[in-house]
Amino acid sequence: MAEVVRRVPTINDLRVKLCYICREEDRFDNPENPPRIWTHPCNCTLVAHETCLLQWIQSAQSDISRAVNALKCPQCGAIYELESDNPLPLRILNVGNKTLSILGRAVTFTGLSAVIVSFGTGIYCLSTAYGAFALNQFVGQEMYDLLLTHDISAWPWHAFLNLPLIPIALILSRVPLPAAVVPIVPVLLAWPTSTPIATRERILLEHWRSSSGVLGSDVATGPLISWPPSPAFFGLLLFPLVRAFYKSFLIRFTHWVLNTEPGRRPPVMRFILALNAPFLIQIGANIEPPPAARANGQQLANLNADENANRVVAAEDVIQVTGSSLGRLVGGALILPTISSIMGSFLFRLSQYSPLLRRFLAVRPSVVDIPPPLGPWSYSDNWNKLGPLRQVGVAARLVLSVAWRGTRTWTECDPVWWRNSIGLGIFVVAKDCLHLLHLWYTKRELETRRVKNKSFESVDIRELDLIEPAGV
Amino acid sequence: MASISSRRLQKELKEIKTEGCPVGITLLEAENFDKWLFSIEVMGESQYQGEAYTLMFRFPPMYPIESPAVQFVVDQTHQSPVHPHVYSNGHICASILGTDWSPVLSVVSVCVTLQSMLASCKKKERPPDNDQYVSRAPDNPKKTRFHYDDDTV
Repeated sequence: MAEVVRRVPTINDLRVKLCYICREEDRFDNPENPPRIWTHPCNCTLVAHETCLLQWIQSAQSDISRAVNALKCPQCGAIYELESDNPLPLRILNVGNKTLSILGRAVTFTGLSAVIVSFGTGIYCLSTAYGAFALNQFVGQEMYDLLLTHDISAWPWHAFLNLPLIPIALILSRVPLPAAVVPIVPVLLAWPTSTPIATRERILLEHWRSSSGVLGSDVATGPLISWPPSPAFFGLLLFPLVRAFYKSFLIRFTHWVLNTEPGRRPPVMRFILALNAPFLIQIGANIEPPPAARANGQQLANLNADENANRVVAAEDVIQVTGSSLGRLVGGALILPTISSIMGSFLFRLSQYSPLLRRFLAVRPSVVDIPPPLGPWSYSDNWNKLGPLRQVGVAARLVLSVAWRGTRTWTECDPVWWRNSIGLGIFVVAKDCLHLLHLWYTKRELETRRVKNKSFESVDIRELDLIEPAGV
Repeated sequence: MASISSRRLQKELKEIKTEGCPVGITLLEAENFDKWLFSIEVMGESQYQGEAYTLMFRFPPMYPIESPAVQFVVDQTHQSPVHPHVYSNGHICASILGTDWSPVLSVVSVCVTLQSMLASCKKKERPPDNDQYVSRAPDNPKKTRFHYDDDTV
């Protein structure tokens, strides 16, 4: 008896075992068949099948948020102790696995940054290559060979800034942002003012060769107002002016064609250009208060218009993401230089039949006799005779002249860029007209919509409550 | 497969039928081992006096290793109680239904816990993020990872 008292009972001494997980019972006088292993893993009275408990632990451990409770008794909070066959090889393998996963994380990190860096580099190279292509298309092969050549190592430093910016500027210019970027401006400002690669050596050579010592600078001379306009004049003044004027005209014209009220929402045009036509027209049609409302009272109409304006603003947000597809936006932007080139050569071909057009486009034979850059001062004898003050003055004139008119090479060449710009302008106008036509037709289609009225042919007439019953 | 959950639920159901539910809790429907419905009412003085709510249990095949999906029924005739841990779509933010679930708990004990959660409520109000949550909540509350920031439930 004494021995029995001292002996601490175990799981096998229970009369009835109730698994706290599956709630199955096991009575000592009627054991389960086949028998399953029971376990009492904690400090309280809960017991369980070992398989049930292991299943629970495994399930709980697999979820990070539940893992803390996996080995804890839900009643007494005791921590379950797991015993397992954990030989040295397994432990080594586990350590190795852990090390590998840390290493793996490092590899993932470096790999990812490598991908980002190389992706960025790739984008940069691609943008630069595209920029070179766009420049080639825009200024023509002759000038391209002078400005850039195919030898990348000879490119001027700003080429590596300017060229990759071209596609970005092109795409940005199509996104309806208030600060629209004019893509041509950086090109027109940077290129003409820097000495073309091909001429650099020539200048030196000429300087040494000529006995009279012509000041061999690559500077063009002539009146400040010239035709075609100098690139700086065109890029800084003419182009933005024409663009702004055209835009405001287009807005007015669109309002007139579509018969909407101008002035209330100036940004309307912004998304009109970016949108898919049918959706937009719906907005446009809504904006106009119906004639009845106008008769009832202008106040009501104003209220409606305000409401509509709000709706338009809300729609604008949505549309920018969903309405125009990205591919159309990007593709449409990147094809612009090619279009301008095609339009330019088309104009060039036309100019062969019209002297007037030829003069307007300033089509030039390839070689022109250019006078010495600074008239009489171009000769070093004269130059040396000048006092230092005059020398500074002349040098300043030189710099200004380069900034304004571009280098001699630029002026000397056939101004492909000019006819391409004109061509692009014509294309843009034609495109806008086509778009407007589409808008107008769509609007008319919407306005003339009616639901088709049908007779009661297919209905039993007796079911209808008619004013004059048919049967009578 | 499903035998784990159905065998245990069979036993729980038998227990409910023989011993009955605690006061205020009534079994409404237990036709299968996938979904049970209970009516739950707070006894005594509380914010929810005289109000009865319907609680729906949905059991995964691995119940009780996996926790049941528990929520208040919300439809034309049923509302969820206005409580800081109960969303208007019936979902309940209670840790015992998520990370603190344990197989030692049962359907009845979950009912009792939720009943006392309602009983201890001081002020009837929705969770602060109710609208935001309800607008994008999954059908099954178990798919939500609740953040339990209140230890009183």
